[in-house]
Amino acid sequence: MGYPTEQLEELKRYCTKLKVVDEGGVTFPYLEELRLPSGCSPATCDALLCPVPRDGYPSRLFLSVQVSSPYSRNWNVTNARIAERNWFAFSWKVDLANPTLTQLLIAHLNGFAKNK
Amino acid sequence: MKIHIKLTGVLYGQIMADLVRPHPFAAERVGFVFGRMGSLNDGKLILLKRYASIPDAHYVDDQMVGARIGPSAMTWAMQEVYRSKGAREGIFHIHLHGHAGETAMSSTDAREIPAMIPGFQSVGRDAAHGIIIVSRNHGSGWVWLPASTQGVEAAQISVIGAPVGVFERRSAR
Amino acid sequence: MSNDRYSRQSFLGPDAEARIAACTIGIAGLGGGGSHIVQQLSHIGFQRYVIYDGDEVEDSNLNRLVGATSADALAATPKLHLAKMMIYSLQPKARVAGFPCKWQEKPEPLRECQIVFGGVDSYQGRHELEVACRRYLMHYIDIGMDVHGTEKPVIGGQVILSSPGGPCMRCMGFLSDELLAREAALYGNAGPRPQVIWPNGVLASTAVGLAVDLVTNWTRQGRRHAYLVYDGNASTVKESATLRNLASGSCPHFPDGEVGDPVLLEL
Repeated sequence: MGYPTEQLEELKRYCTKLKVVDEGGVTFPYLEELRLPSGCSPATCDALLCPVPRDGYPSRLFLSVQVSSPYSRNWNVTNARIAERNWFAFSWKVDLANPTLTQLLIAHLNGFAKNK
Repeated sequence: MKIHIKLTGVLYGQIMADLVRPHPFAAERVGFVFGRMGSLNDGKLILLKRYASIPDAHYVDDQMVGARIGPSAMTWAMQEVYRSKGAREGIFHIHLHGHAGETAMSSTDAREIPAMIPGFQSVGRDAAHGIIIVSRNHGSGWVWLPASTQGVEAAQISVIGAPVGVFERRSAR
Repeated sequence: MSNDRYSRQSFLGPDAEARIAACTIGIAGLGGGGSHIVQQLSHIGFQRYVIYDGDEVEDSNLNRLVGATSADALAATPKLHLAKMMIYSLQPKARVAGFPCKWQEKPEPLRECQIVFGGVDSYQGRHELEVACRRYLMHYIDIGMDVHGTEKPVIGGQVILSSPGGPCMRCMGFLSDELLAREAALYGNAGPRPQVIWPNGVLASTAVGLAVDLVTNWTRQGRRHAYLVYDGNASTVKESATLRNLASGSCPHFPDGEVGDPVLLEL
């Protein structure tokens, strides 16, 4: 599973380092120290972007910690094990037609900044 | 530092089927098996994933040893290590001693095979490389972890097949 | 081991005891299913265990937790302790690495196993165990039971063998994205699930039988995958019909090369 180089390059702006990791036939972009929207605590954390359907969602953003944010979220994934690490995710459905990886990331991060 | 080597039953069968084939002039056959590391609390796992047979033409006729592979085989091996270095895939020289029971390096094995390791390490420095010797029903392995100049003998080789095989050093039990 | 002790299982083969003793077994979850498995493996002669459970015995466990007593419920005995006592009482020289937590919190010891039993209570948990078993090359044997309906209860369950290189639980038709999604949607609202001892016993015994065959090859079948469905109302265990649709070729969900610690490739 590969992604267009320009889309991966674009993702680098949002984190300290961008990596990719394969598991179960899926290639996950791994964003080291992803910068979270203001009001979030912590301000950065590691993240895994899952651009393919999973757990009934068209895509998911997994975070290395359960983040506090201005609006309370339903953290329906706790300690999900992916690539030999434990991850967290809140319930947030992103429905975009053919998004780029960055569009997908921003749409997921909007889950912190928007009240539903 | 504990080392445990694992491979599937299918891969083990593939290796054994190849190593028992007679060679036109060599007394033994040699192959290369590739694998990646897994972390343990007190050591490393080596998880073998694919096998490459060495073509008959890449052997050198040397009646003083069981098998000698030529420069073409070594060049190919080094290229494979280089190609797989991003995946941290290491290479293991493997051959068969035709008896049953525990195996050990012969004096020739001990003299010649470890000498290959620094070359593999220079090309694939983030991977583990080593040596595996199988017998008809057992096996032993020696692993050089990244940047290590000393090989560590594996405490166990597990064949995850049907049936399961567990080859242990007597001293490790 | 004495010759008398295992004389009744000599049909397993002349080297069966040695094979059994050399094998390291992982068990994630020591509840209704796991406690049966621990008991049976100990009787058979398995010596090496890596076991996980962070829970304590409660009154509601006593209808099915093998080895647990009323005193254990009063004392809130850790299930891990019960399992260790069960093993050591039958195999005093056993090597038991026990962890009072979920396996995900201390995953490294599990990787040394040749066979892992999963007695977990979620599809996501099963999926994660299978991923670990594929990465670190272990046979995975999953068991689970459920009771559906209250007016006319139906007991169902499964025993699945998923081996590296062979079909996985998705290939065999047990796990799917839809199932995982439905479970995720219920998160926190699932409530206590009905659990009783006799289906657990059937499933655990079947699972242990698969493991013994993997270790000793006494049936000479060389079975590397299985999906057995338990019908608790009809009292049957049968191969799942989904296996008729099993695709040939290697498992597309777990590529052969995806073994070992994940590699994070920097871009």
